[in-house]
Amino acid sequence: MFPRDVTLTDVERLDRVAARAVETLQMDEDTFRAFYDRTARPVWVYLARITGDRALADDLLQESYYRFLRAERSFDSESHRRNYLYRIATNLAHDRHRSRRGVVSVPVPAEHEPSALASHHDVAGDAERRTDLGRAMAKLKPRERELLWLAYAQGSSHEEIADSLGLRRASIKMLLFRARRRLAALLTGQPGQRA
Amino acid sequence: MTIIECPRESDVLDAVASRKWPHRVSPDLAGHVASCAVCRDVVDVAQAMRADHETVWQEANIPSSGQAWWRAEMRARQEAIRQASRPIAIAQGAALLVVLSVTVVIGWLGWTWIRQTPPTFDLSAVSAQTLTSPLALSLVVALFALAVITPVALYLVLSDE
Repeated sequence: MFPRDVTLTDVERLDRVAARAVETLQMDEDTFRAFYDRTARPVWVYLARITGDRALADDLLQESYYRFLRAERSFDSESHRRNYLYRIATNLAHDRHRSRRGVVSVPVPAEHEPSALASHHDVAGDAERRTDLGRAMAKLKPRERELLWLAYAQGSSHEEIADSLGLRRASIKMLLFRARRRLAALLTGQPGQRA
Repeated sequence: MTIIECPRESDVLDAVASRKWPHRVSPDLAGHVASCAVCRDVVDVAQAMRADHETVWQEANIPSSGQAWWRAEMRARQEAIRQASRPIAIAQGAALLVVLSVTVVIGWLGWTWIRQTPPTFDLSAVSAQTLTSPLALSLVVALFALAVITPVALYLVLSDE
């Protein structure tokens, strides 16, 4: 409760309300900026790959950090904080996937972009591999894409994956095994299980 | 029983991550991968994803941390203002509703009075007639409601919380 000030105009009062809203954010500016600089790029890459849509990844990245800042939670460690951010990003991607169900989204990489072309020796081979991966990823379930990306592209541990996706740690091994087997079969063109 | 993991999986992953796979790994590890379905899958998937990750990483065009903070701050302010303005909007709506109701009642009473009043205007007769009319009671109730609700609406609008 704040003391009543009859001389305050509505504008001044709302300005105070707005200032208080900024004070209630999860972090101060310096802490946020340092955290953002450490995490934004991997989170964007993760979002771009699990959604298959770069523009959507831009939107979801911004929304993820905003929700993270508004979360009234305390974190034990940097990794706990980072996993929570990934969980927000994952949930947002799921929400968007549900709302866009029916729209086919194939995450074919933008291999024609100059930066992609200039940085690799075997341009044609890389582009082909990336297109194959994009097509194969598009055939997986969102949860499978998330698991595989965190495990094999970002090198997250099973504990980190469980925290980031809100899954039980005990189930990660089996889920990862199934997703990996499925993607490997799609990549190598061998349907079903390998011997 | 299906084998879902291999104890050498982490060695294989390390080899892929450090770009030692396939040419700079020990023959022992290469031989193991050739005979282990789990590790073969790990190699196929990890190699493809690592390569893709590196490229997408370079292509990522991320807004600066300053921009991200500024946007979040602006949005938090706007949401707080929108939330705080809600009672004001409700009070304003309620006040408007009261004013409209009173206007309608007064208009209706006035129209009734005009229709009932004889063409010759006699103030004392009109006052007596109006005051004893049952419609006059409605007018008094409406005015009383206005007198009570207006301060409440003003309080809601001007109070700090």
